[in-house]
Amino acid sequence: MTARKAAGRRGKQQSEYFFDYSLLFIVLFLLGFGMVMIYSASSYEAFQSFQDEAYYLKKQLVAVIIGLAAMILVANIPYHFWERFATLAYVVSMALVPLVLTPLGVSSHGARRWINIPGIGLNLQPAEVAKLGMILFLATMVCKMGKGIRTMKGFLFMVALPMPVVLEVYLITKNLSSAIIIMGISVLMVFVASPDYKKFVVMALIVLALAALVVYLVASGSDLFAFRGNRIRGWLDPESDPQHTTFQTLQALYAIGSGGVWGKGLGQSIQKLSFIPEAQNDMIFSIICEELGLFGAVAVILMFILLLWRMMVIANNATDLFGAMLVVGVMGHIAIQAILNIAVVTNTIPNTGISLPFISYGGSSVMFLLVEVGLVLSVARRIQLKEL
Amino acid sequence: MPAVHNKFFHRKKILILFFGCVGVMVFLFGRLVYLTVWEAGYYAQQADRLHERERSIKAARGRILDRNGAVLADNRTVCTVSVIHNQIEDAGQVVQVLCKELGLSEETVKARVEKYSSIERIKSNVDKETGDRIREYDLPGVKVDEDYKRYYPYGQLASKVLGFTGSDNQGIIGLEVVYEESLHGEAGTILTVTDAKGIEVEEEGERRIEPVNGNDLVVSMDLNIQSYATQLAQQALETKQADGVSILVMDPRNGEMLAMVDVPEFDLNHPYDLPQGTPETLSEKERQELLNGVWRNGSINDTYEPGSTFKIITAAAALEEGVVTPARAFHCPGYILVDDRKIRCHKVGGHGSQDFVHATMNSCNPVFITLGLELGVDRYYSYFEQFGLKKKTGIDLPGEAGTIMHQKENMGNVELATVSFGQSFQITPIQLLTTAASMVNGGNRVTPHFGVRTLKADGSLLEEFEYPVEEGVVSEQTSALLREILEKVVSEGSGKNGGIEGFRIGGKTATSQTLPRGSGRYIASFIGFAPADDPQVMALAIVNNPQGTYYGGQVAAPIVRQLFENILPYLGIMEYNQNDGQS
Repeated sequence: MTARKAAGRRGKQQSEYFFDYSLLFIVLFLLGFGMVMIYSASSYEAFQSFQDEAYYLKKQLVAVIIGLAAMILVANIPYHFWERFATLAYVVSMALVPLVLTPLGVSSHGARRWINIPGIGLNLQPAEVAKLGMILFLATMVCKMGKGIRTMKGFLFMVALPMPVVLEVYLITKNLSSAIIIMGISVLMVFVASPDYKKFVVMALIVLALAALVVYLVASGSDLFAFRGNRIRGWLDPESDPQHTTFQTLQALYAIGSGGVWGKGLGQSIQKLSFIPEAQNDMIFSIICEELGLFGAVAVILMFILLLWRMMVIANNATDLFGAMLVVGVMGHIAIQAILNIAVVTNTIPNTGISLPFISYGGSSVMFLLVEVGLVLSVARRIQLKEL
Repeated sequence: MPAVHNKFFHRKKILILFFGCVGVMVFLFGRLVYLTVWEAGYYAQQADRLHERERSIKAARGRILDRNGAVLADNRTVCTVSVIHNQIEDAGQVVQVLCKELGLSEETVKARVEKYSSIERIKSNVDKETGDRIREYDLPGVKVDEDYKRYYPYGQLASKVLGFTGSDNQGIIGLEVVYEESLHGEAGTILTVTDAKGIEVEEEGERRIEPVNGNDLVVSMDLNIQSYATQLAQQALETKQADGVSILVMDPRNGEMLAMVDVPEFDLNHPYDLPQGTPETLSEKERQELLNGVWRNGSINDTYEPGSTFKIITAAAALEEGVVTPARAFHCPGYILVDDRKIRCHKVGGHGSQDFVHATMNSCNPVFITLGLELGVDRYYSYFEQFGLKKKTGIDLPGEAGTIMHQKENMGNVELATVSFGQSFQITPIQLLTTAASMVNGGNRVTPHFGVRTLKADGSLLEEFEYPVEEGVVSEQTSALLREILEKVVSEGSGKNGGIEGFRIGGKTATSQTLPRGSGRYIASFIGFAPADDPQVMALAIVNNPQGTYYGGQVAAPIVRQLFENILPYLGIMEYNQNDGQS
C-alpha cells in the first residue's frame, strides 16, 4: 500500500509507525486552492468595502495558520488523551449554544449564531464546537457500550444521545443545516458501530418519506413551514422569485451555466462582482465552476473523494475501535458538508447555508476542521506498519 | 484491541459509507455535467442579460435633398443626458446641476434620479454646448451621449411636405414619415458589462454594435421654386387677408412636384410651438388638435369643390366622346333649366351666342351643363372614373384624402349638371392638378410624387423610384384640342391675368363658393401650364376665403403669372414669339 511504499522510501530504521502524508498533502492542497479561490471570489468586494483586495484572504490565512498549528499539536498527542474529556465536550457543547442569546452573542446575516470570545476578538460558532464535541463523545460512548449497541435499546440510546444538542442548535440558533450535519454525523457513526442494516434502512426510508411529504405539502400550497417552505418552493422553481427567495440559487446557476465545460479562466468570474453576495462563503463552488468550468469542479470533487478514501484507509486500520470511530466521525462530517454544499449550489436540494470544507471562507470552520484532521493524523500515527 | 469479528463488520460498514459518499458525489457530478453542458447556453445567456447594460447610439438620419442637391433636412449633433442610478455618488448635486443646466423642474429630475433603474434618460435633444457643460462637472452616474437631431436649414420652407421628427428621431408627418424606413438607419448599441451595482467593469471592455446611418432622399422639389412660391403665397395671404393660400407646381410630363406650398406654414425646427395669440389655458387634447390643424397639408389632406377649373375635365370628356367640337355654337340666356331647376350662369345677363371655345373662355355654366346632360350620367361617370378621379393620386405624402362624389345610382340630372361645372362634389387640390395634367400632357395619368431616388451615405445611388403612369386616359387629339382652348382662355378669355407677354400659357380660373352657400366665403383658384403647346410645368394656386375681390381670375391668376414670370426662364423654358434673339 501507499503507506508502505512511503515508509520504505523514508528508511526502515526511522519509524515503524505510519504518518499519512497523502492525507496531509490533500488537505494542504484543498486549503491552498481554497485560498486562491477566496482571493479570486472576494477581492472585488473586499476592495469595494475595505479598500483592500486581500482583506478576506488575510483573515483566512491567519485562521489557516492557527488551524495548522493546532492540527500539528493534536496530531502529536495520542488520541486516547481526549477520551477523558468526552463527557466534558458534550456538556461544553450544550453550554455554549445558549450563549448566543447572551450579550456575548453576535448577529450576522440576520441570524444569531456566533459568540464573541472576549480578549481575542474572534467569533466562534458553537455549532462547530458541537460537531467536534459530538464526534469525540459518540466515539467514546460506542467503546463504552461495546456489544450493548446491538440491542434495540442500545441503538435507540445512541440515536437519542445527540438529540439534545441537535435540538438546541436548531431551536436556539435557528440553524437547520448545522443540526442536520450533527445528526448526520451521529447516525453515520452509529451505523458503522452497529452490525445491523435493517434499522438503518428503515430509518433512511422514514426520513425520505418525511422529506417527500414536506415537499409535497409545500408544493400543493400549504402555508406550513413558513420561510423554509419558500426555500422548497424556490428549489422546485428557481426562477419563481428571482429577486428574493431564489436570488442566490439562481445567481449560482447563472455562474455554473456561464462557466460551461472549460470555465472563463481564473479570476474571470463576473458573478463574483456582487451578483452573488459574499461569493467567498457558501457559494464559492459556483465561482469555481464559473472560472474553472466543469473540469475545475470535477477536480475539487475528486480531491474530496481522495480525502475520504485516505480516511477510510485509516479508519479500517486504526488500532482500536475508538480511533476508528473518531476517523469515521470526521469522515462523515467532511463528506456530509461537501455533498450538501455542492447539492445546494447546483440546486439539487433546497437552499441552506453550508460551507464547503477547507475551501469556503470562514475562520472557525476551517480551524475546527484542521483540528479534526489532526485527530485523524493522530489515529494514523498509532497504526503499526506491520499491521498494514 | 477489538475482536477480529468486530473489525470485520466495521471495515465493511466503513467501506459502504465511503462508496455511499462516492456514489452521491458521482450523482452530483452528473448534475454538474447537465448544468454546464445542457443548460449552459440558457444560463449563460441569462447571465449576460444580467451583466450587460445597454446604451443606444443613434444612427444619423438620412438627409433630404432637393433636385439640385440643396439640403432641406439635415442633422445636428445634440446630446442625451441620462443617469445610472447605481453610479450616482451625490444625488443632491446631480439633481441641482441637471435642474440648472437643463431647465427642468426639481421634482422631474429628482424622480428620475431616484428611480431604481439601470439607466434613466433625463432629457434628449440637449444642445451640444449644454451637454459639454454638464460633462465638465464630471459627476459620477451622469452620462452625456451624443446623438443627432433633425435640423431644417430653411425653417418654415415646405414644412407640411418635409414633415419633422420626434424626440426619438422618428418621422411624424410628411416625407419624414413616408420615407422613414429609408431615412432612419439602424441604431447602434454600446453594451457594457457591469457588476451588480451597475458599475462598469473596465477589463471587460465594451461591445459596440455600430449604427448604420440612414440613406439620403432626393426629392423633386426645387428649393428656388418652392421659396418663390412660398413668398407669393405669403404675399397673397397678407394682401387678401385670406385663411390660407396653396400653390402646387408640378411637371405634368412625369408627375414630379416642384413645389407645394400651403401657407401659413410652421417652423420645422419648433413644430410644437403654438401659433401666436393662442390662449395658454388649452388642455392637452385641445393643444394637440390645434397642432394637428397647424401641421395639416390642405393640398392633400383636405377636399374642396373645384368649381370652374373642373370644366377642363367636362370639356375633355365631351370632346373625347364627340358630343362637342370647338366650333359648335351655343346660346346662353344667363340660366339653364335642368328638370324643374333653374341654374344660373355667373354672368346674369347671359353670354349670348358663342362657340365652344368662347364658352370655355367665358367659363359659361349653361354650356357645360348642356355637355354634361348630353353625355348623361353613365358616360359622365365612366369618364370620371377613367380619368382616375375616384382613386387617390398615390402621392408619396401621408393622409391623402379621397374624393367625395355622388353614388352613381343617386345621380340625377341636377347632380350631373352641378358636377359638370365643378360643384356638389369634392376633390383634393392635388387630385385636380394631377387630373388636369393628364388632360393636357397627351392623356397620361401620372402619379404625383416628391421622392426621386435614395442615395447611400457615400453619395452613390441606392434606388431610383418609379411611379405608375396610366397611358391614354384621353386621346392625344383631345389633349391637343384642350391645350389650344385653354391657351385661348389665358390669352383672350377669363384667365388673361395669368398671361405673360411672349409666353404661351394655358389655364383655367375658378371661383367657388364654399358650403354653406351664401356664407360669403369663396375659394379663388387658377390652374395654369406652360408652354401651352408642350406643357412642362403646371401650377395650381388656391386662395381660401380672400377678402374683397374674390374672383379666381383676379386673385389667383396673377399669382400663377408672377410665378411663371420667374420660374419659366429659370427652368430654361424660353420665350416664344419673340424675335429679339434671346432664344
